[in-house]
Amino acid sequence: MFKTILEVAYKNAFLRKSRAILLILMIGLSMGIMVGLEGLYNGMYVHMIDKSMRSDSGEIALYAKQYRLENDIKYRIENSEIKVERLAKLSGVDFVLRRLQVEGLAQTATKSNPAKVIGIDLKDEEKFGKFSDFLKSGELNFGKNGIFVGSELAKNLKIKIGSKVIFTTQDSNLEIASVALRVKAIIQTSNIGLDERGIYLPRERAAALMAVDPNSATQIAIRSDSEEIALLQEQIKGLFPNLEVYTFMELYPQLKQMQSMMDIFNAITFTIVMIVVFIGILGVMYVSILDRIREFGILLSIGYAYRYIRIQIISEAFFLGFAGYLLGSLIGFLLLSYMKIYGLDLSMFAEGMESFGMSSTLYATIESTYFISTFFAIVIASVLSVIPPLRKIKKLNPVEVIRDAG
Amino acid sequence: MFRLALKNTLYYRGRSITTFLLTFISAYFFIVYVAFTDGSHSSMLKNALEVYTGSLQIYQKEYRDEGGYDYLIEDTEKVFELLNHTEGLKAYSSRLETYGIASSKERSAAIMLTGVDFAKEAQLSELKKAFTEGVYDSKGACLYLGSDLAKKLQVKIGNEVSFVGSAIDYSFVAELFKACGIFKTGMYDFDTQSAFMNREYFDQIFYSQNSSSYIAAMANKMQENDQIAGQITQALPKDLKVYTWEELMKPMVELMEIDSIFGYISMGLFFLVIFFVIMIYGFINVSARIKEFGILKSIGLSDRNIDALLLYEIVILTLAALAVATPLGAYTAYYFEAHPIVIEGMSDMYKEYGVVSDEVPTLFVPFTVAWNTALVFVLNLLSVLYPMFYVRSYTPTEAMRHV
Amino acid sequence: MIKLKNVSKYFYRGEPREVQALKEINLEIEEGEFSVISGPSGCGKTTLLNAIGVLDTISEGTIELNGREIAHLSAEEKTHIRLTQMGFVFQAYNLVPVLSVEENIGFIMRMQGYTKEEIAHRVKEVASMLQIEDKLDALPNLLSGGQQQRVAVARAVASKPKIILADEPTANLDSKNSMKLMDMMKELNEKEGVTILFASHDEYVVENSRRVILLEDGELVS
Repeated sequence: MFKTILEVAYKNAFLRKSRAILLILMIGLSMGIMVGLEGLYNGMYVHMIDKSMRSDSGEIALYAKQYRLENDIKYRIENSEIKVERLAKLSGVDFVLRRLQVEGLAQTATKSNPAKVIGIDLKDEEKFGKFSDFLKSGELNFGKNGIFVGSELAKNLKIKIGSKVIFTTQDSNLEIASVALRVKAIIQTSNIGLDERGIYLPRERAAALMAVDPNSATQIAIRSDSEEIALLQEQIKGLFPNLEVYTFMELYPQLKQMQSMMDIFNAITFTIVMIVVFIGILGVMYVSILDRIREFGILLSIGYAYRYIRIQIISEAFFLGFAGYLLGSLIGFLLLSYMKIYGLDLSMFAEGMESFGMSSTLYATIESTYFISTFFAIVIASVLSVIPPLRKIKKLNPVEVIRDAG
Repeated sequence: MFRLALKNTLYYRGRSITTFLLTFISAYFFIVYVAFTDGSHSSMLKNALEVYTGSLQIYQKEYRDEGGYDYLIEDTEKVFELLNHTEGLKAYSSRLETYGIASSKERSAAIMLTGVDFAKEAQLSELKKAFTEGVYDSKGACLYLGSDLAKKLQVKIGNEVSFVGSAIDYSFVAELFKACGIFKTGMYDFDTQSAFMNREYFDQIFYSQNSSSYIAAMANKMQENDQIAGQITQALPKDLKVYTWEELMKPMVELMEIDSIFGYISMGLFFLVIFFVIMIYGFINVSARIKEFGILKSIGLSDRNIDALLLYEIVILTLAALAVATPLGAYTAYYFEAHPIVIEGMSDMYKEYGVVSDEVPTLFVPFTVAWNTALVFVLNLLSVLYPMFYVRSYTPTEAMRHV
Repeated sequence: MIKLKNVSKYFYRGEPREVQALKEINLEIEEGEFSVISGPSGCGKTTLLNAIGVLDTISEGTIELNGREIAHLSAEEKTHIRLTQMGFVFQAYNLVPVLSVEENIGFIMRMQGYTKEEIAHRVKEVASMLQIEDKLDALPNLLSGGQQQRVAVARAVASKPKIILADEPTANLDSKNSMKLMDMMKELNEKEGVTILFASHDEYVVENSRRVILLEDGELVS
């Protein structure tokens, strides 16, 4: 019985080809574009977070008390090596590294710009965040007096590979210290703060410049794949009560807010699109049922139960919605796949995007949630849309229907 | 045909109400959305321009690429003379920038120290408006510091600040100044790195008499800025160049273009769905009237007459909806331009991106409202094309036999 | 007035389901005739009427209206002929539902460009002939079937066409209304001199027509 009902429903759903095609196109195109946009925005956000984590704090970062407020080398973490070893042993911690940072002035013969020296261990940075991915030009080899320079800083100073840069700062003894350096590589992390100011030095050389113990650090950064970052944070706080421990989101609240805003935006887009899809299916189904009102009257009069008609109508709406969903999934998947692999090239806006810490090529993410949530939304929209026409059929007096339509 | 179309729109209420509502919603939200987007962009740009940049700047040609003291404007007075005779300028001022290390008792920081004419800057930029403490146009060995820089160096009004840098002849400069004034523009980078001093004393120390890194100017009316820039370019010596704010703030302009593009894509999605629904309802309405169209064709109405009928119907519905949506949308844009929405903490959170204010204003531009409305109108017209084509595909007899 | 020469009409020509609805029809309709095309169901009455009214195409032959061949004109030209020279009455769905009776009757005249005054005068004239002058402001859905058909006839005749083609005009009417309609159309034919051609199997229509054109399986029998 149900097989027959479903067969009839399937045939009726596509009886009026023009209407069905229009509806399927509407659902398919809107869903495809919506999923594409969602994937692109999420991709932008995910890549920003990923790059920020890899180039800066990781999932959790530790600082000496007062350091983040004062930004002064005197507030540094001593004996950082031991601390790193202890942290690395914690469950949920993938990798730990330390950095030493001080602000100062970078100068060439003709240009100057505020900058900050970041003392790093290149091998550690590679394990921590695949530092080699950030390389824009040159080679990742410090050599004798080599540095890596942030891309925006390089632009502002008009320097290239091989250029000479003087960095001047105040060391831990409050003395003015200067060092001459040569650019070996230009780095683009898409983290504005680092790209605009960053000068990377080997940690030991940075320590010498700042006149601090090489075992000092201004930041200890942790990579973790733990699902319970907050718990890990609490654990680390307990381990080092004299240090400040922050999660990534606490350090980058604007990214958190960006995520919230994107979620809200996606939800609003989703809701509005689904409401309009609902209206579209409602219109088509309502008219389709009105066209066949005599047929339903006859069916009711010969003993065909209302519940079978209900199943049939709901099935028809579902078939149409589902067909639209399949088309939308295909379009969305193709769009997202292309943008995941090749990205959306916005290089004509490169200057603008890079200056604000964004890559000029945007990559999308593909998540099953896009398709799953849309499936349920379309199913719900389809089923809800037939409630008004079903009410109409329920109220039918079969005799009147046959007489009026004849 | 028009009268028949009008009667049809009143008769077929379901389709009419749906089309009216969807058109109203899409037009209203489009107008408001564009007003907010343009408003926030315009506000960010305006803040940045008015705070310090100015609407145009004049440089020695190589200065922006090469920098340094080798490419200064060497005869500022000559350029001033030209600018005196240029119409449409509100103010202009010479600036000479140098970088160095500023140190207090406790701290040091890399800063950009700029010699300015405080009186002219008061008209040109918001340096005076941004004043918070001390004295604005101090004379002698006085610094006017950004608030975040003062915080960084831990100096208050009256404290000493040393500066180490180089003069324009590349000789060493080390000078002791007093913090005489503090300003806060809200632009984070600017407030953290910038210090100003009066030009007279600056010239004495840096030997920069009659020289400029660049000359900044502000047009009376921004719409005339390009024209003014062109005028100045023609009269300038060949080694000098004019940059308008679009060139100077190219990254910000580009970022805003991208933001607008993505905004339009998102709006495009709404329009797509709404377009389809309007088309579907129009199509359903038309297909329910196929027999009627068959009769009309039989008694002598041509395809063109039927096209006109359908077009009139959609035009009536669209114009009715737009007649309500457009004034309402325009008023909303106008209202929020005068009374911007305030999102507390927004400027603090997004200071890296140049957001200075917590206010989110709209930008009410009648032309923008007009093209927004026109776009919705055109989309609605396009939605009736398929139904028209559908009706045309029937011969009179086929239409009359239609079930 | 109307001459059909060797008119044939095929449906689904060249396909296995090909049907020849009209077979080499040769027919002349004179001015002022009050005739009916009759025959059993499926004999091709409506098809022949539609061919004469250039509502449908023919596969072979020619159709002349006052000496002018009309079967092979463009769609625009055929539409123009239907507008200016013919009037139509159908079995059902005749009227524009949103227009009043007065507006429905005057519709074709408005399309032809008559002035408001001319239309108003003619509408009153025709409405009183068909005894619907008290219904001018009503919408079609408030009228009975018989009244609606009379409005359809009024519309057809208002613009003074050369010929009125009526396809099963009494099919949806009871006998009383059928008789009434036929009497009024006869009166119109006599008073206005308009040629009226029916397609009908209604006995009453056949009996009251001056000429019966009999069709059987698409062929003229008499």
